[in-house]
Amino acid sequence: MDLSQAALVFLVLAPGVIFGILALVWLAGGDAPERVISRITGGTFSASVLALVPIVWRVVSTGAPVTVTFGNWFAVGSYHFPLVLMADRLALPFLGMTVVLSGLIGQFSATYLHRERGFLRFFLLLDLFACGSLVTFSAGSFDLLVGGWEIVGITSVLLIAFFQQRPAPVENALRVFAVYRACDIGLLVGVFAMHHWAGTASFAGGLPNLTRNQASTVCLLLLLAAAGKAAQVPFSGWLPRAMEGPTPSSAIFYGAISIHAGAYLLLRVQPLLARSTLASVLVIAIGVATAVYGTITGRASADAKTSLAYASLTQVGVVFVEIGIGWRSIAVAHILGHATVRTLQFLRAPSMLHDYHQMHSAIGGELSPTGRFLEGLFPEQVQLWLYRWALDRGHLDTILDSLAVYPLMRLSRLFAKLDGLGLSRTASFPGEAAIPVRSPAGQGGG
Amino acid sequence: MTPQPVLVLTIAAIAIPWFGAILAAIGQRRARAIGCVVSLGSVLASALLLRAVPPAESLVQALMLLFSCLTLGATLVLPRRDCDSRMIAGILFVLGSTLLGYSAGNLLVLLLAWILSTVPFFAARWFRARTWRPRMGLLISSIALALAIALIAISGHGMSIDRLISRSPGGMAVFSLLVVAVIFRKGICPAHAWVADAIEGGPAIPTALLLNGHFGALLVAKLIVPLFPYTAHNLFPVLSYLAIATALYVAVRALTENSPRRLLAFIALSQSACILAGLESGTAEGITGALVHWYVVTVSTMGLIGVLRLLEVRFGENLTASKYLGLAEHAPRLAVFFIVFGLALVGLPGTLSFCSQDLLIHGTLASHPQTGLLLPIATAMNAISVFRLFARLFLGRRRTGFTVMADALPRERWILTAGVLFVVLGGLFPNAIVARRSAEADRVEQVIHTPMRPAEVFDRRLGPSRRPL
Repeated sequence: MDLSQAALVFLVLAPGVIFGILALVWLAGGDAPERVISRITGGTFSASVLALVPIVWRVVSTGAPVTVTFGNWFAVGSYHFPLVLMADRLALPFLGMTVVLSGLIGQFSATYLHRERGFLRFFLLLDLFACGSLVTFSAGSFDLLVGGWEIVGITSVLLIAFFQQRPAPVENALRVFAVYRACDIGLLVGVFAMHHWAGTASFAGGLPNLTRNQASTVCLLLLLAAAGKAAQVPFSGWLPRAMEGPTPSSAIFYGAISIHAGAYLLLRVQPLLARSTLASVLVIAIGVATAVYGTITGRASADAKTSLAYASLTQVGVVFVEIGIGWRSIAVAHILGHATVRTLQFLRAPSMLHDYHQMHSAIGGELSPTGRFLEGLFPEQVQLWLYRWALDRGHLDTILDSLAVYPLMRLSRLFAKLDGLGLSRTASFPGEAAIPVRSPAGQGGG
Repeated sequence: MTPQPVLVLTIAAIAIPWFGAILAAIGQRRARAIGCVVSLGSVLASALLLRAVPPAESLVQALMLLFSCLTLGATLVLPRRDCDSRMIAGILFVLGSTLLGYSAGNLLVLLLAWILSTVPFFAARWFRARTWRPRMGLLISSIALALAIALIAISGHGMSIDRLISRSPGGMAVFSLLVVAVIFRKGICPAHAWVADAIEGGPAIPTALLLNGHFGALLVAKLIVPLFPYTAHNLFPVLSYLAIATALYVAVRALTENSPRRLLAFIALSQSACILAGLESGTAEGITGALVHWYVVTVSTMGLIGVLRLLEVRFGENLTASKYLGLAEHAPRLAVFFIVFGLALVGLPGTLSFCSQDLLIHGTLASHPQTGLLLPIATAMNAISVFRLFARLFLGRRRTGFTVMADALPRERWILTAGVLFVVLGGLFPNAIVARRSAEADRVEQVIHTPMRPAEVFDRRLGPSRRPL
């Protein structure tokens, strides 16, 4: 194992190891002080940034990816789960973005969450999230990518429920979790399909060899997962709900890394995508729909974080369009730029009014208007309709509820009645209650 | 090791718990100590046994060790309120009977173990169910197995399982009775309701132990597949559909359930059905996934139900998932144990279930592409139910109205940490477990896919064989 390979292993494992140590110490009854926690996390990410140097050097100088093969994680018959880490030209920007932004968020949160009751919990989840993201971006096979992907999802949900005393964040976390799990079925089945047709889901030596129809099927399945993770239409309803989490986590998840994981997945399968017209058109259509949806809905958002979330959504929609067209490099550059700017905006969101007033007094008068808004071009009737549409966030949650959630709940209640057949009333069971489906109104930042 | 020490160790592993059960029943004091020492003895005997057999043929011994460890954990984690001599005696009796069932090489012994493991659940002072269904479910499964074995005996075959392999003894009638026994014991739809009733009404931890014996899956692996390879080959899709339907049905059912015990029962049932679906997939991946998932389900459901019981003891038995109880503020470590065990049950990466689910999904999708798709859907719904229950029990406004409650006590904390370490280390280094089970899976797969032998054709055409063995 040479230096760059060792650096890649360190990069991926370090946050996970820190998570494991801090978690075990806490479980055993220990209570690390805030300063220790933040310094350990900060030190880890600083070291990870240094570890990036030999990897970047190797990739840039040789043009070949840094690959570390550990063999098979497990194998049964002809099926095997390869444990391969790979940092190529696509993965490297995402790896860099993850360690740099995670480190920055760690530093920011040390002050922002000072004396917060969930300080340790936040840092544990941040470390675990970073590990999951790094596994996702450095995976050499889709099997391993699924592992990192799921970790990103669960940490995201647990951070949305960070302010656990209030019911709203918890309910929203459950909603987000449900959307993630439903969409991840596409990823699981897509990976199975690759194994089934090509005998492997590894892409370390190039993508699996599939026919056009097979490629279409795989891409459509992966698109479901990518759309869920990136909050694309029709799954966009979860994004404003996710703003219930603390601001630093909103910044790194929904401004930078998690929201772009779906785009990364599509970039990874882009050669397959290019072979499927249907999937490419669908990616573009979803991207366009999301961009339009995001820009309209964001204008009716009452709070800063939700507005930023919708602005984020709009940009990710545009990234999807770029991927669908086949502009890979532009998409990567767009993601990097967008993630950096959006993280900054999210982190400044709590002090936005302060910033505004400061700027206001600095120029010694009123700030000049930002110009005409696009919606002013429409007739008033259309404007009113659009406003109502945007206020209910495009009715997306309502549509999903009526198509999926409520029928499922009704079916569940029917099953409960069936289960109670043949029992006396006193012996039958009390409990039914739907997963709470509340209107998205009244959600704000944490 | 020669066969004799293996036999001695097996007898020791089984006899020690029974002896301990008698001791606990007679002596009214120090029940927990007796339970711990006795289960530890069983753990040691099973561990030595596991070392004594070749790794590729160690499924039974591994299950014996797992169940002994589980019982040890149960006796340690049992709240003081529940820990009387009667309870410990019952638990040890179930342990001895279950180990007997695992190691049985004779049909009559298997039947005896099957019935004995249910005996405590017919004792009204030990097991109080709110409905008649648990006892009925166990009774029907025992009667079905007894009838199947009686038919095998009438048809002139011997009682040794090894000598009956691939002979389809008793033909379709016996096969059907065995399937009925599996359906009722395992809680496969439409006979699933008794499991939730048992968990809700009965003593939580001992009932979880009974269910985690997984005698239904044992019957499939030990009798149905080896004895009826031809029939199994043809009828397994039907069984597999039933198992997958059960996994989905109870997963949907769990979505609106508010009783934490019932909700956990449904999730456990759904995941147990996945074991059966994997075993019946007839693929090496599916069967290995099922065998590994057996471990996962056993440890995780035991952990979940254990944590729930600890919460009930601390905060009252009227816990509900209909509102937010905010218990994490009082018991943060129990909250962490709960969510780790819960997510470990439904495929969290980094835990053993990630590997087992991966293999299960590949196996079932490969054998039944359309219905196999339902398995990841069921697992996704179970994950939502787990998170919902976690959120309702542990999150929300801090609950007031009682004095400060203890979080996990050291005794509970260490044993729950051991469980968490098992699922996590198993997930990080799965090959240690998967490789061992893979060899057995290959054998089972070979048995199912081996072409029909002339003897079986004869059996099929002329009904039960009259030929002497």
